[in-house]
Amino acid sequence: MTDTVQSSLAETRAPAKVDLKTAVAKRLKARHAAEMRFRAYGVLAICVAVLFLGILLERIVHQGYTAFVTHSITTEVYLDPNRIDPTDIMGANYDQMITEQVMAKMGVAEDEYGTTSGEYKEILSPDLGFKALEALRDDPKLLGKKISLTSPIAANADLYYKGEISRDIVEADRNVSDQQMVWMDDLKTKGLVKGHFNTYLFTNTDSTQPELAGLLGAIMGSAMMLLVTAALAIPIGVGAALFLEEFAPKNRWTALIEVNINNLAAVPSIVYGLLGLAVFINWLGMPRSSPLVGGVVLALMALPTVIIATRSSLRAVPPSIREAALGIGASKTQAVFHHVLPLAMPGIMTGTIISLAHALGETAPLLMIGMISFVPGLPESVTSAASVLPVQIFIWENASERAFHERTAAAIIVLLVFMIVMNLAAILLRRRFERRW
Amino acid sequence: MKLYTRPLYAPDTSIGKPRDPSMTTTATTPKFVARDVKVHYGDKQALHGIDIDILDKSVTAFIGPSGCGKSTFLRCLNRMNDTIPSARVDGTILLDGEDLNDRKVDPVVLRARVGMVFQKPNPFPKTIYENVAYGPKIHGLATSKEEMDHIVESSLKKASLWNEVSDRLHQQGTGLSGGQQQRLVIARAIAVGPEVILMDEPCSALDPIATAKIEELIDELRQQFCIVIVTHSMAQAARVSQKTAFFHLGNLVEVGNTEDIFTNPKDQRTQDYITGRFG
Repeated sequence: MTDTVQSSLAETRAPAKVDLKTAVAKRLKARHAAEMRFRAYGVLAICVAVLFLGILLERIVHQGYTAFVTHSITTEVYLDPNRIDPTDIMGANYDQMITEQVMAKMGVAEDEYGTTSGEYKEILSPDLGFKALEALRDDPKLLGKKISLTSPIAANADLYYKGEISRDIVEADRNVSDQQMVWMDDLKTKGLVKGHFNTYLFTNTDSTQPELAGLLGAIMGSAMMLLVTAALAIPIGVGAALFLEEFAPKNRWTALIEVNINNLAAVPSIVYGLLGLAVFINWLGMPRSSPLVGGVVLALMALPTVIIATRSSLRAVPPSIREAALGIGASKTQAVFHHVLPLAMPGIMTGTIISLAHALGETAPLLMIGMISFVPGLPESVTSAASVLPVQIFIWENASERAFHERTAAAIIVLLVFMIVMNLAAILLRRRFERRW
Repeated sequence: MKLYTRPLYAPDTSIGKPRDPSMTTTATTPKFVARDVKVHYGDKQALHGIDIDILDKSVTAFIGPSGCGKSTFLRCLNRMNDTIPSARVDGTILLDGEDLNDRKVDPVVLRARVGMVFQKPNPFPKTIYENVAYGPKIHGLATSKEEMDHIVESSLKKASLWNEVSDRLHQQGTGLSGGQQQRLVIARAIAVGPEVILMDEPCSALDPIATAKIEELIDELRQQFCIVIVTHSMAQAARVSQKTAFFHLGNLVEVGNTEDIFTNPKDQRTQDYITGRFG
């Protein structure tokens, strides 16, 4: 055998020896060109990816950044005892009363049909009236006194102040009239209306009025849902992966389970939504559109990813560590929990956080379990109806008011920021724990 | 049963003092008696019936070319082959007269009695102290911090590492040099108070100076332990061992006093191997 090997070696070597340099030089140019070409493809691919990402971010930020600024009106309101019946404070027309007071202050005269105050009311906000009623309900003694109220201005007025509605458009084609524009300019020069950072976006829950609509309800709903998902997916996923990787016998059944787990990771998310609808809502009777059901469904969806990530990081722990522990008489469980699991932890956490971030942005399965509804308040518990960030984006996108469009983009920015924070946490945790050993 | 009547390890008894004579065997009675040991990995047979007696308080070296089954047999002595799902071990191996493959023998207890040192130094990615204290901790050998400190100190001293690490016990064990790591691993095995220490090519990843230290250490440890070492270096086998066993293709070809094996081998294959004809 060695003879044949040697002879074949001699055969291949003999002709090459004659002109090795020229043979190599002949092909050298083509080889270098191939290498350059391949590098160019790589650079091109990265450029295309970065370009599209850049366009996406630019569009979202361009549309959304205006929503982070809003205008609000601050005015003194006289709680007129002539117009408010102390025995029936709910019955008074606060909007009309406040509008007339602002008009008087700005020197706008009411006409005999009351259409001027009707138009003027449109550029203020119904929230002022609610606030006056609330103040009076809390303290009935305020009747007959002056209070100072601040409220976000009507959405159309806000758009005008931001320059989104311009005078160049024909008057009939825009939501604010020339007369209203004059009034608005006047309100601003007199200092009643001021622009500021839109805190309402983070302190208010959803509303039919764009100027009052905020993301707090959706953020709370997402947080609750994510807690349910994490509480289910992490222990079950890590436990299943530990068993499969460290304890289970390697036979046909575990191979079958492994194949199925890998396949489940590729199942479209809407299928999980159907499962949630059929099993958790219709069969187990869990409350519809609650963070509980959403969390359970997303936990099912995240499980395969968590299991796969955990298994691969367990596999990455060198077997010498297991042998070391077993060699001094540690039991299998002790070897796994004292040594293997801590070493696999950074990988497990990274995989888990990324699958949770994925779950945070998931929309389709939540639509299937009825999480697409207008929820004006904060969710009280995991079983009460709630909205979540991606679904809130979906709902706002479908709204007809123009002011909701910039809020849609703003909500996308908020969601993206949460994603970036989670991914950053994954990276930081990984680096921190890896440095320990 | 004898395995359980004997305390695993009383932390102090063996340190600096001679062991209780009733607990140890004399140097002439074998620690291990192996008869017709066969190992299969799946369909492949790795060992074809090994018969050997291994003496206590001495160093036995296993030599032979790669893949001859010497490591496989070593791993039978503390049932590390149990961790390989496809491995099957037949035959009997007696440790102090008891079959260690018996169903009643818990591998956890067995591995506390028969410690192991591997080819590549494998300290836990923890501090030096934690590395040594881990075994006594899981077996419950120390009841107080002082006792544990004492076990750690005496184990490191026995492994000739104390002088080098006494001022940095709470630094990472993985930060030590290769030779120090291997001695740390030996200290970790000693801390459990074993009767036997198995060493699977303990010096193959070390430089000559570190190797010399380990060999020196092995020579000291033989006063207290039964040591079985697998090695590729025939010079090492000649230097450290009293008995040498030559394995070839899954068979035990020859076993005897190290001197005899190296100066006057009975089998032609042994002769060829030690003279460098193959392997």
